[in-house]
This record gives sequence, structure tokens and C-alpha cells, in this order.
Amino acid sequence: METLPIEVIETAAEAAGPATLPIEVIETVAEAAGPATLPIEIIETVAEAAGPTTFQLVLRILVALFLVVHVTGLGFLLIHALSPQGERRTRLGLISRRLGRFFIYECLVFGSIVMTVPFYWMVVTAFKDAETASSADPVWTPQRMEARFTPPGGVDSIPVHILGIRNVGGVDMATIVPLENFHFRRITEGGVQITRRVPDPDTTMRVPAQDIERNPVISLAVDNFFSAWFRPEESSRGEVNFLTYFFVSTLTSILATTGTLITSAFAAFAFARLRFWGKNLFFYVILATMMVPGQVLLIPNFLILSKLGMLDTYGALIVPWLASVFTIFLMRQFFMTIPEDLWDAARIDGASRFRYLWQVVVPLSRPVFITAGIFDFLNNWNSLLWPLIVTSSPNKRTLMVGLQNLNDDAGAEFHILMAASCFAILPIVVLFFFLQRFFIEGIARTGLK
Amino acid sequence: MQFKEKISLRENMEAWAYLAPAAIILLIFWFLPVVVSFAMSFGNITALKPFEDMEFVGFGQYVTALSDRTFQKTLWNTVNYVLYSVPPTLVIALCIAMLLNTKIRARGSFRTIFFLPYITTWVAIAIVFRYLFHREFGLGNWLLEIISVDLLGLSSAWRLEWLQEPRGIWEMMLWGPLGLKIGDMPFGVDNIIRGPSLALGSIVVTSVWRDVGYFMVIFLAGLQNIDKSLYEAASIDGANGLEQFKAITFPLLSPVSFFLLIISMIGAFKVFVPQFMMTPTGGPDNTTMPLVMFLYQEGFTGEWKLSFAAAVAYILTIIILLLTLAQNRLFGRKVEYGQ
Repeated sequence: METLPIEVIETAAEAAGPATLPIEVIETVAEAAGPATLPIEIIETVAEAAGPTTFQLVLRILVALFLVVHVTGLGFLLIHALSPQGERRTRLGLISRRLGRFFIYECLVFGSIVMTVPFYWMVVTAFKDAETASSADPVWTPQRMEARFTPPGGVDSIPVHILGIRNVGGVDMATIVPLENFHFRRITEGGVQITRRVPDPDTTMRVPAQDIERNPVISLAVDNFFSAWFRPEESSRGEVNFLTYFFVSTLTSILATTGTLITSAFAAFAFARLRFWGKNLFFYVILATMMVPGQVLLIPNFLILSKLGMLDTYGALIVPWLASVFTIFLMRQFFMTIPEDLWDAARIDGASRFRYLWQVVVPLSRPVFITAGIFDFLNNWNSLLWPLIVTSSPNKRTLMVGLQNLNDDAGAEFHILMAASCFAILPIVVLFFFLQRFFIEGIARTGLK
Repeated sequence: MQFKEKISLRENMEAWAYLAPAAIILLIFWFLPVVVSFAMSFGNITALKPFEDMEFVGFGQYVTALSDRTFQKTLWNTVNYVLYSVPPTLVIALCIAMLLNTKIRARGSFRTIFFLPYITTWVAIAIVFRYLFHREFGLGNWLLEIISVDLLGLSSAWRLEWLQEPRGIWEMMLWGPLGLKIGDMPFGVDNIIRGPSLALGSIVVTSVWRDVGYFMVIFLAGLQNIDKSLYEAASIDGANGLEQFKAITFPLLSPVSFFLLIISMIGAFKVFVPQFMMTPTGGPDNTTMPLVMFLYQEGFTGEWKLSFAAAVAYILTIIILLLTLAQNRLFGRKVEYGQ
């Protein structure tokens, strides 16, 4: 990360007054003011002189044990796999079977760790501050550096935020503000309302830097989530924040999904149960379009939308996705399994086809509706390329485009990015845990057809 | 042939009324674009030249694309991505599915854990892995440091540039340590020997991590569909585990595997988001940029060379179609569809 010399920032801070200083600058100063670290060479020499540390010894012994156990274990397992079922009752067979079960659990647990560590890391980092998030040694708990100041003569220290440190006459003086007076506020800057973390006026203090203690503490403060949520306001002059993105994504995804389910139900019913000219031909044409990659459609669709005057509208995000070949196909397969006798019974009772579809077929096909709905919703929610191309104004950005913008904008501020990633995936993870059965069954079914 | 009853006009009208909503959308946004795109790829539309003023340039755009160095490079990157991500994903997924198909506890929880990455969005995952592969504060380099310093007792830690590393993975892992220098070779053979850049390798790791769960779920469903009595019969006949896999599991799983191979290859050819998010500029020396990202850059930024992008899209389509056909030819006949 490129940093300005402290003096420049300090002078700027002095000139502008602490309240208007952007967070990043303050953060940089705080980082620069952190405890000096020993040069690497010194640390290495010390380590070599002292021999391996306890951690290194334990690690080496564990890895050696792991290798020994697994090499012999693999041998046993091979014998187990290659011995016919009948010979497995021997002692060797029993040992290798137990070992095999142990291995299965071990592999699965190891795999689960690999799968979950990135998620854990994302959540933990979302609670860290910039300094902890960018430390070379990973910090596995949600920590941040806390600066505390003990007022002269006082007994209790108070947590403070350092706005800047400046050398005055050979003494480092810190400009601080008590943390309780440091809030997210809507302020007017350049005629635009934006949300930014600012100190209450008149609560800043200037104290000797040596009176301030900085220590890592475990903290679950949600500052990063606020910063990430309101970050787009700063980059686009107060027009939008993640509330806008969530609104756009939710609105377009729900409308497009509902629309797709309705149009597809009608079309699938026609293909499954009605007779008409050109049915087979049309069905094969539809199946063939499943082969065409979406990228081919990207360019002409862009032109078509611009001819229809729909570029940069919600319509551009919804209308092209109001029908899905895949959903039609999925529903048709399901409708075909509904016995024809039901239609005969319904007809005798005087029901029209339309009534039969809505009162008999649709309720019977609830699982396929939920599965198809999930897929359509996820497709819309997760799409990046399409909204990137057809929308341009900030208030029509979907969540994914917003996240992509933040990724460009926040660069290496991973604590902010992780917080944004957290709230971007939260709705989907919640949805998944409620509808897990349909997710997994739906995917399994599409694979087996 | 079955005798066909005559279909009345009324019946036809009713059916078409049911079809109409979906058909109109599909017609405008799916069928029409295929044709328009095809026509466009033979023209010269850019931001300055609207559709109405299009001039026909024949195969000009295709020729330009195929002889463009960046295009060739992105095509090569895409092929590398497909070759290095699809087989590991399928093999690992099959292994996990087979482990989960045994009598174990907490199968549901394991399945959920492995499946979770697939439902979280690519954009967020790409950001998280960009952090993990960061050269200064990523967990990747931390792990390397643990291995090199603490485990092997080296005095200085191994560090990699990950997403900023243009050198090929084989160049770094094999040829470099062996002291071999890879010079320029005809027909780009040196690129094959060097392997994909570490930057692309990191992205491949990310996508394997994400997709394994999806394929695992389908494999697991396929495995559970296999009749258990077949295994019982085989073990009574004295077949061992390996023989059972060769004679029962593998052939009965082949339709599922074949389906997964095709859809995963098609999907991998269309890859865009991970590269776009993790290496927005196309990676070091353009070694990660896939075809679709090239298409986006050429067609929707800068000069908006829409016709050129359409030609690129068609080349991609042709590649995908040929691949699917070839796979059908090669393996399609050998796939056993069981009972």
C-alpha cells in the first residue's frame, strides 16, 4: 500500500481540521504510528541461535506421525480393497476395515475444513480493523487495535480514536477523540448528503502520544459493515449505497423469477398436454437454443434493448429473463408424469383446461416450481455480465455490480470488502438453509435426467 | 407410425395462447439475437457505426479475430482453464461422493458443507480468494511460510506472487528447480510445457473449490441410484472393491459422468466472473483473461467493436458445439444407460 509521508498528512490534517479527514488517511496514520517492528534479519538470527521453537517441534512431530500412520494405513487399505469379500473376516481384514472408516472420516473432515476456512476467514476479517486485516501473520479471531488513553490524574482509561500524530517541539502529540463520540452521521458535503464516520465537534483532544496505549482486543464491532454499506455514497457523491443495490437486485430477481414461472408453466403445459401444429419442431428449436452460449445473445440483445429504448432501465434487467428454456423443459418433464386420468376426471366435473392447470397441475407440481424458482432466482441474483452491460446509472446497479465496483474501489481494504461480501451472500445462505432439500434434490434431478 | 387425429383450429389456438407469453420473449431475446448476431459478425458495427449503416465485410472480423495476438492468448487461457479445472473438479467430486456414499454419520452435514460454496455467489467468492491469494497478507503465503520455515527448517520463507505471477506452473515447479530454461519453440509448444501461469492456476484452484460440491451432489445421486443388490451379488461371487468399482460403479455411473463432463466443459469455456473479479486487467501479461472477458473488453468498452465481439462469440459457439459433438462421438456410444 502506498502511504504518504506522515508530515504531509499531518499538515493536511492541521489545515483541514480533524473532522473532515477521510477515514483512510486517519487509518494510515494510525498504522504508521503503530509499534515499530524489529527488522527481519534480527528475528531470523535469534531464531537460528535458539534452535527450533516448541511450535516448530510439535508441528514437525505431528507431520511425521501423520506420514507414518498414513503410509502404513494406505497399505492396509489397499489390501482391504483387493481382498475378496469372503476373506475380510480375518484379523487383517478387520483392522483394515476400521482403518478405512477412520480414513473416510478424516478425509471428509479435512475437506470440510478446506471448504469452511475461506468462509470463516471472510466473517472474521469483516470484524477486524485495517491494521489487523493486513497483518502478515494471520489473526484467527476478530481482533482490532484499540487505543486507550488515561487522562492525567484519572484512574480509568477510555477507548479513543487517533485522528493524527504530530511532532511538536520534540514531543509526539496525538489528536484523539473518545470512541463514544465517533459516530456514523449523515453529513452534507459539497451539497450532497452522505454518510460518514465523524467525531462530535469539540470533543477532540490533543495529548502526548506516549500516554496512549495500543493493544489488540477481541471486538465484534460492526463498523466495517457500516463503512462498506455506505462506501458507494462517497465514491459516487451521495447518490446510492448498498440499500439501493439490494433493492434493485431483489426487485428484478423476484419479478423475473415470478414471470418466468408463470410463462413457463403455460408453455410447459402446452408441450406436455396439448396438441398443436408444429409442436415437435418448436420443441426441438427450443432445446437447440439451450446449446447456444449466452454470450452470443449478449451483443444483439444489447442492440435490441437500445432499439426498444430499454437500456439502463429496470426493464432491461427483467424483461429478457421472463422466459427460460430450461425451466420450460424442467416443468414439461414433471407435467408429463401427472396421470392423464386426472384431466378426464376434471373434465367430467366441468373444469376448463385453464382451471385444470391452476387447480390440479400447479399444486401437484409444487416441488418443481420451488426448484425452478430457486434456479431462476439465483441466476438473476448472481448475474454480473448482463447488468454490467445493460445498465450504467448508479441507481440501477445490482448487488453484484455494486460489489464489483467496491472491489475496484476498495482495492486492498479487505476488511471492508469482506464485510460487503458477508452481507451480499447472507440472503442466499439463509434461503439455502430454509430450502436446502429443494436445492439438492433439484440439482440431483437435473443431473439424472 | 401412429395414426394422427386431426387437430382442430380451436385446439391449436388454445395451445398457442398458452405458448404465446414465453414464445414472444424467447423469440425476441433468444431466437432473433442468434440470427442478428450471425449477421452482425459479418459486418463492421462499432459505437460510431450503428446497425443501420452496417457494411458487409465477409469473414473479415473472423480473420481479424483469429490472427489477433490477444485473441489467441485468451483462447489459449480459456483452453488451459478448461483443461486444468474440469478433470480435477470431476475426480475430486467423485471421490467425495463415494466417501459420502458409505455408511457414515452426519452425511447430511458433510453434504451441506461441501455444497455451500456453490450457492454463494461467484463475485463474493472471488473477492475472498483475492484476499487469500494476496502476496502480502494472504493465507496462501502464510501456509507456504509454515511449510518452508517451520516444517522444513529453511532460513527464508517461500513466497509467491500468486495472482501477479505470469510464469507457468510447470516452469516454476519442475523446469525451474531442474535448471532447465524454456526458450521459444515452434507452434507454441513452449506454452504447453510451461503450463498455465500461476495466476490462472490460483483461479483454477478457486473454481475447483467452488464447483466440487455441485458435481458431488449429482454424483452422489447417481451412486445412490445404483441397485445395492448388484454389489451383494458381486461380493458373493468374490469380487473385491476395485473389481466392483470397475464392473459396477464405473459403468453405471457413466451416463452421469458423461453429462457432467459436457456441462462442466461448456461452463468452463464460458467462464468470466472469477477472472474479471480476481484479475480485472486480465492478469500478468494477460495470462488469465478468458475469451468472454476479451469479448466484453472489445465489445463493450473502448471502441465498442460490436461486430468483432459477435465474431468472437460465434467462434466460441463453434468451439463449444464441436467439442460437444466430438465428445458424443468419442464417448457417447460407450456410455451405458443401464436397465
